[in-house]
Amino acid sequence: MKFRHFAGGLIAATIAAGPALADKLDDIIASGKLRCSVVLDFPPMGSRDADNNPIGFDVDYCNDLAAALGVDAEIVETPFPDRIPALVSGRVDVGVASTSDTLERARTAGFTIPYFAFTNVVLTKEDSGIDSYESLAEHTVGSVAGTYEGIQLEDDIKAWDKGGSFRPYQSQADVFLALAQGQIDATVVTSTVASSIVSGGKYEGLTIAGDAPYLPDYVGLIALRQEYGLLNYLDLFINQQVRTGRYEELYAKWLSGPAPDLTIDKAYR
Amino acid sequence: MGNYTFQWRQALRALPQMLDGALVTMQIAILSMLIGVTIAVFLAVMRNSKSRWLRAPATAWVEVARNTPALFQIYMAHFGLGSFGIYLSPYVALLAGIAFNNAGYLCETFRGSLRAIPSTQLRAGRSLGMGPATAFRLIVMPQMFRIAFLPTMNQMVWAILMTSLGVTVGMSTDLTGVTQDLNARSFRTFEFFALAALIYYLITKVVMLGARLLAWRLFRY
Repeated sequence: MKFRHFAGGLIAATIAAGPALADKLDDIIASGKLRCSVVLDFPPMGSRDADNNPIGFDVDYCNDLAAALGVDAEIVETPFPDRIPALVSGRVDVGVASTSDTLERARTAGFTIPYFAFTNVVLTKEDSGIDSYESLAEHTVGSVAGTYEGIQLEDDIKAWDKGGSFRPYQSQADVFLALAQGQIDATVVTSTVASSIVSGGKYEGLTIAGDAPYLPDYVGLIALRQEYGLLNYLDLFINQQVRTGRYEELYAKWLSGPAPDLTIDKAYR
Repeated sequence: MGNYTFQWRQALRALPQMLDGALVTMQIAILSMLIGVTIAVFLAVMRNSKSRWLRAPATAWVEVARNTPALFQIYMAHFGLGSFGIYLSPYVALLAGIAFNNAGYLCETFRGSLRAIPSTQLRAGRSLGMGPATAFRLIVMPQMFRIAFLPTMNQMVWAILMTSLGVTVGMSTDLTGVTQDLNARSFRTFEFFALAALIYYLITKVVMLGARLLAWRLFRY
């Protein structure tokens, strides 16, 4: 009788412990599906084509990752502010969403090594008289809420304290609308977005007025902080993407010019 | 949620910033109510008027204010007017949008209250030698505010909560704006938004308590 209780308990414990041992990486492989959160109003990283299908660098990156894992990819559209809730609530497995790897955020989310890097430029109207980043100090400027460049610009405007003000808008489209209307005098955006909007012709009279002197905005993939198995796999995957030339290939497909260097001189990782 | 560890200390450290935001939120809500109530009294009188030229604009205001989303009204105050070269800052656009909305709703509240006041009240005032405006101001309006008081406070709560829509027009200093900024920097989404929800709850409770006290002083017979 005693033995039967013991054996039963042991079996029950084994069954109960079973799923707990499997980590996120196991879960993804077992489910046959990789769910990536991708921001789809951020071309050329993520957007939709004429048939409403998700396209972009991040979408291709997710598909490559799914292929490497031997599973099917599922793109889950996720606005910038929803990236962490999507991960935590289990709606997605990985964030392929141009997430800047700040130390403050890394206290909450798990970051991989950088898989992409942005540089930022000042975008303004031709007649605004703004010719450099420093000349933004006295102006009303805006950017997308919660982005790397938006946070830096807001901090600089506050530090300069020369009568300028910062407005965080909810989407890139609202920022361009505000700039085109004259509600704001300038914005700081990633060089890729700036050149596509200037050449796009949707808004007239916009011009790029120099670089923003920020450190390169390195972005990583994100996963839950405690999922070391998955994060390790993602690091290796990014390394392989660069090693095999796939990173350059995707860069050439979605952007132009030389692909940014993802390594940092004189430091590991 | 089993895979998320709440870090309340980090959120509580940002509490002073959030409380600053709460002050801006209360400021906008109170100003929007003062403006809204003033406009609503005129709209209610206009809608009760016999002249079509007074009735029509008031009706149009009420129809738009009550039958379109507040988000749309605030967005239009910023980007809509902006396309005509009229630039309202996020603060003013938010205030204008909510005041517009308040005026529309309160107009109908006041109009209903006016109906509840017997016309003999006005005539009694007139028989004492008051002019129509004086009689309305001294006899009818105090009764109207008394009847409309609770629905007006309802609108006040609604105004406080509507201020959270300011983020759509670039508002960064109110409670939601501050919360969103903190969230973007730290990714501590759940802590910051839970704290913000609690602060909104407390603001409305405090305002309601203040209103009760005010009503107790103003409206006793």
